[in-house]
Amino acid sequence: METSLTFSKEIANLLYAQHGNPIKDCIQCGTCSGSCPAVEFMDHSPRQIIAMIGADMKDEVLTSNTYWSCASCYQCNVRCPAGIDIAGMMYGLKRYTMWKDDYKENLVGPHFAESFMKMIMRTGRSFEPVLAPTYIFKLDAKDMFQEALMATSLFFKGRMSLVPKKIKRLDNFRNIVKRIIPFGGTA
Amino acid sequence: MSENKRLLIIDDDPDFVSGIRSILEKAEYKVSVAYNPKEGFEALEKDPPDLLLLDVMMGRGAEGIMLARKLRKDPVLREIPVLIITGIREQIAYLFPGEQVHPGFVAVDELVEKPVDPKFLLERVSALLKASEERKQQTS
Amino acid sequence: MKKFAYYPGCSLESLSLSYHQSAIESTLALDVELNEIEDWNCCGATAYFHADELLAHTLVARNLAIAEKDGLDFVAPCSGCYKNAYFTNQQLHEEPDLADHINYALEEDNLHLDGTINVKHLIEVFIDDIGLEQLKSKSIHPLEGLRVAPYYGCQLVRPRKDGENVENPQFFEELLSAIGAEPVDYGTKMRCCGGSLIMTNREAALDMVFQLLLDAAKQETDVIATICPLCNVNLEAYQKQVNQEYKTEFKIPVMYFTQLVGIALGIDPKKLGIGKELISSGELEKFASKETG
Repeated sequence: METSLTFSKEIANLLYAQHGNPIKDCIQCGTCSGSCPAVEFMDHSPRQIIAMIGADMKDEVLTSNTYWSCASCYQCNVRCPAGIDIAGMMYGLKRYTMWKDDYKENLVGPHFAESFMKMIMRTGRSFEPVLAPTYIFKLDAKDMFQEALMATSLFFKGRMSLVPKKIKRLDNFRNIVKRIIPFGGTA
Repeated sequence: MSENKRLLIIDDDPDFVSGIRSILEKAEYKVSVAYNPKEGFEALEKDPPDLLLLDVMMGRGAEGIMLARKLRKDPVLREIPVLIITGIREQIAYLFPGEQVHPGFVAVDELVEKPVDPKFLLERVSALLKASEERKQQTS
Repeated sequence: MKKFAYYPGCSLESLSLSYHQSAIESTLALDVELNEIEDWNCCGATAYFHADELLAHTLVARNLAIAEKDGLDFVAPCSGCYKNAYFTNQQLHEEPDLADHINYALEEDNLHLDGTINVKHLIEVFIDDIGLEQLKSKSIHPLEGLRVAPYYGCQLVRPRKDGENVENPQFFEELLSAIGAEPVDYGTKMRCCGGSLIMTNREAALDMVFQLLLDAAKQETDVIATICPLCNVNLEAYQKQVNQEYKTEFKIPVMYFTQLVGIALGIDPKKLGIGKELISSGELEKFASKETG
């Protein structure tokens, strides 16, 4: 009787509903890594992450910035000869690390995602200025200044509003969400 | 009391599962496990247990809720008592900070939050099994 | 008059207002009506997939259900919104249990999704519903001699939907030819612009934008045409930062394809939001200054 599930099996279960073939079908050809436009900025290439999952290297996978540097461009997906939904795996890994609150230090991604989601819960729409604090303080002074300059130019061109819009049926919207994610007291 | 009672756990967290499994098996329950909703539902159909211990967040998201609703539609499976054990407050509470986790709209028998105290777990399992027995006797 | 349920998406409200304006104007001039969906919510972009995929689908489903009430096909000008809507629609057809669950949630807003409408990207309306022949015949100011780079970006064409050509589609080039422009042979036309990485991994995104600008410059591009607000912002608003980072001097205007179509159709440039760019579209002046129709 198995004592506990391996990490690779855990991830396989996480991705049970994915279209395409399971990640254990990977032949390590490297086409995904060769196609990925962000690979140079990843701790590990997509191919390596898949190999690491197969080798049950849980800690190394959880502390990698790879999936947080994925732009979801799906280039890997359309080219993978094994038919694996690699972009879906990247999303799954993001979900896994956010649920467990266990990811690499100093990443903007998780906090950005959290802010984005809370923002939509508040108004039903996205509003850029709210997102700025998640990344702006991680920039160096020169970049921060450039960002502020750009925001100002956009504002003067009438492209940056200062007040978030709210959808009308916000309460209904929130109740919709609560039927999916069970929060909020008795029904 | 627990002789021959069969329990099914559907939960994606292997560490949590091995923890409660040993507690339940020590109390002489027969325990089966499925780590994703698809295998879980297949196990339920193939061999309906006396009680289901169900996680909420697994696979794509709050799949446990979707599974619980699906069960309630099946004439055989709807009779199985369902105990939700969820860690949702740690996993995704930032969406609704400070609010209660509620099973309200989903007809489950009970919802408890992780981490769960072993004695409390055994108490609730036993109570739900007893209530289910009584219901069966009333209808037969 | 052909009608569609129009889903602008959050970016088109202010950041990419010119895309919204030029979309409405150019379709109207071609006998197509874009009816904005009432009380639409954010599609969730990519962020909601980081938390809960079922919830992400639900957010999209609410908009589809609202559109379905009028029985009109759903049209999105943003590639991200389009991709989400298309694949959520598909997923709900493939998985009745999920559709049932989401419909249960939608009850809270008195909505129900039967899945009877189709999802399109705005550019498909021009190519399939309006047709390139009509577009050509209505282009009273063809953009002759204007070298335009057709920047498809990623989520318009990927993931693959129906076995179509995802390595070298030509429909955007054909549209540009129909309005008289000269489409540039743009090798990186489907390479990602970085999307939201511009915020979450600035370094990576700036490199991706740099590669796209470099390729456009090599091809002596007058204007880069975009079909997505995020691509447009990344390529245009961050050009200055790319120049700083890579010591380059790019100054390539980036416009929405609907603005180019609008100019060719003879619509007043102000109505197309021209003038809101951070990098002025100098070359387009000579087309825009002709008498408007």
